[in-house]
Amino acid sequence: MEQLFYYLKVSWFSIKRAPLPYMLTVLILSLGLGVFFSNATFYYRMNSDPLPDKSDKLFFPMLMLVPYQCSDCKPPPVLSYSNVAKLDVSTIPSAKAAMYSADGYLRQHAAQPPTPVTVRITQRDFFSMFDVPLLHGTIWADNQARDELLLSKATAEKILGRTDVVGQQLLLDDRLFTIIGVLDDWQMLPKLYDAYNRQYLNPVEDVYLPLESGYDYNYLSSTNSSTFDDADFRKLATDGRNKALHQLQYWVQLDTPAQQQAYRQFMANLVTDEKAAGRHPSAEANQLVMLRDIVRYFGGESADIKAFAIVTLLFLLVSVFNASHLSLNRYLSNQYEFSLRRALGANRSQLQMQLLVDMGLMSTFTLAGAAVIAYGCTKLMNSLWPANHLFAGWDVQLMLALAVLTLFCSYLVTLYPSLRASFGSLNKQLKE
Amino acid sequence: MITLTNLGKVFRTELIETHALREVNLQVNEGEFAALTGPSGSGKSTLLNILGTLESFDSGDYQLDGKSVKGLPDAALSKLRNEKIGFIFQSFNLIKDFSIYDNIELPLRYRGLKAAERKQRIEQALELVGLHARRDYLPGQLSGGQQQRVAIARAIAGQPRILLADEPTGNLDSLMARQVMELLEQINRQGCTILMVTHDPDQARRAGRNIQIIDGQLHDSTMYDPLAQHTA
Ligand SMILES: Nc1ncnc2c1ncn2[C@@H]1O[C@H](COP(=O)(O)OP(=O)(O)O)[C@@H](O)[C@H]1O
Ligand SMILES: [Mg+2]
Repeated sequence: MEQLFYYLKVSWFSIKRAPLPYMLTVLILSLGLGVFFSNATFYYRMNSDPLPDKSDKLFFPMLMLVPYQCSDCKPPPVLSYSNVAKLDVSTIPSAKAAMYSADGYLRQHAAQPPTPVTVRITQRDFFSMFDVPLLHGTIWADNQARDELLLSKATAEKILGRTDVVGQQLLLDDRLFTIIGVLDDWQMLPKLYDAYNRQYLNPVEDVYLPLESGYDYNYLSSTNSSTFDDADFRKLATDGRNKALHQLQYWVQLDTPAQQQAYRQFMANLVTDEKAAGRHPSAEANQLVMLRDIVRYFGGESADIKAFAIVTLLFLLVSVFNASHLSLNRYLSNQYEFSLRRALGANRSQLQMQLLVDMGLMSTFTLAGAAVIAYGCTKLMNSLWPANHLFAGWDVQLMLALAVLTLFCSYLVTLYPSLRASFGSLNKQLKE
Repeated sequence: MITLTNLGKVFRTELIETHALREVNLQVNEGEFAALTGPSGSGKSTLLNILGTLESFDSGDYQLDGKSVKGLPDAALSKLRNEKIGFIFQSFNLIKDFSIYDNIELPLRYRGLKAAERKQRIEQALELVGLHARRDYLPGQLSGGQQQRVAIARAIAGQPRILLADEPTGNLDSLMARQVMELLEQINRQGCTILMVTHDPDQARRAGRNIQIIDGQLHDSTMYDPLAQHTA
């Protein structure tokens, strides 16, 4: 222990001898690491798998079942109500849910000012499929229309001031709904069930409403809907249900390859039958995309984010290179002291201990610097691209990764130069 | 205690080969005070560095206390340096921002001595060189002669049996040089073997033995007669 303090003291003296180059080394390294880390966090979060046990079991079926002629094209990314009904017949999936999103206003009573909320309009399997945690209450008993909603924890706290609110009533767009459940803290990152149009970058919704009620009450989709006939998208309850108004995302859970194969066949048969019945003219082009692949399928992977990640990596490499150059100079100017210590009987492992302590000290300073710079960078990115703030969170794992990376870079920066210094010719400096 | 047989050392750079030492044979006995003289560039420092195991050699053998140092691993050589050998340099080689005390402590640290034992040895060494009052000074606050005495204290604090001094008075004026010489003689009288490089003929004469190197070869080893040694 006493010896460790001694090594620290020696390190400290050698820093004090030339503080500027040392500070510059630490600064350059911190800058490279900080910028890299803040960007890598973002990249890592964007590409992380929110449901590792399930991401290869949840599938997004898209039917080429539209009233227009199209050879060589992809099926629409969203389904019509009637197409979902056709898919819903299948008993192959172990779970299935159709959904879309809408906006609404929520308040406790008419005297309260309304709060704008995002609404996920969906079916009961949604909660089990995407591992949505429930804090209080239950989910809907079935997929029928009902004036029952679930709230996110934050929404319950915001509107009602507490979370244990099951059974209470609320006004959603001035219609009375009963709260049957409150979700626990939940943020699927990325929000892959909603991958089209880069919606997966957004937070999960505040309020959950049964699909049938959404159609009955004419909750218009807040994202994209397309009509392929004379359907009026503003008449959900009628045209929405009967005509080619496409706005529903549909997810099915297919646990085994056999189920997946069977479901593909089922989709193909469905389209063939419909075609035979003269209800659609297009060539078969169904898709069944795994949750894990959904962002890539929709082309939502951002090339600029990738490019940025590469640029910051290069920046880190340049920083390490520069820092190691500075540190090499520092060691070369200290080489005399190495030789002296050797002459006085220090063996290599004792010198190496000293270098290790040097490295530890540098890592500590650099880690602190990098954390500060990464924090600043993250703040800056969040203010430039507010939508991305969800992906900027650090956790213990990421912090550990930063620490390990810092240690590794300090090692590169310290070790090579110091090895050169300690294994170099011993006597030169002392002879004169 | 030191035996060199046909020792050779060659420095190779891309352009030239320098034969710094050729066929050097030398025996130094316990308790000797030997002066090493010779023109500049003749190989004096190289010889001293080899004796101090700071430098390797290319041919021949070097036996210290009857054991060859050839091929010893780094740890063994470091231990040898630390326990048996003390170095004194022309330019003192004190660490500028370490106190006198901390400078003297260096070799004791590397030997792994406990704090109390280190302290006792440092005080003893400081006492001997007469700088006890200056223990907390920085080297820069001392005169050249005092600095060299600190370096001597550092070299002897570990109680080595051999002291290797490379022009220890080269940077000192004559008064200070004489003080340093007297100190070395005192240390020698206590039983420490000393090899000292010097340009000063007076100093060389004061030493019990004068070894001359010219162009990497040993000449006129006044006191030493290998035949006499062997037949004795
Ligand atoms: N590290 C080295 N590399 C190459 N040549 C060296 C090296 N050290 C010493 N020499 C050469 O070896 C010869 C002896 O040097 P040195 O022992 O320093 O002489 P002295 O101390 O007697 O002045 C000189 O010619 C010198 O140039
Ligand atoms: Mg010399």
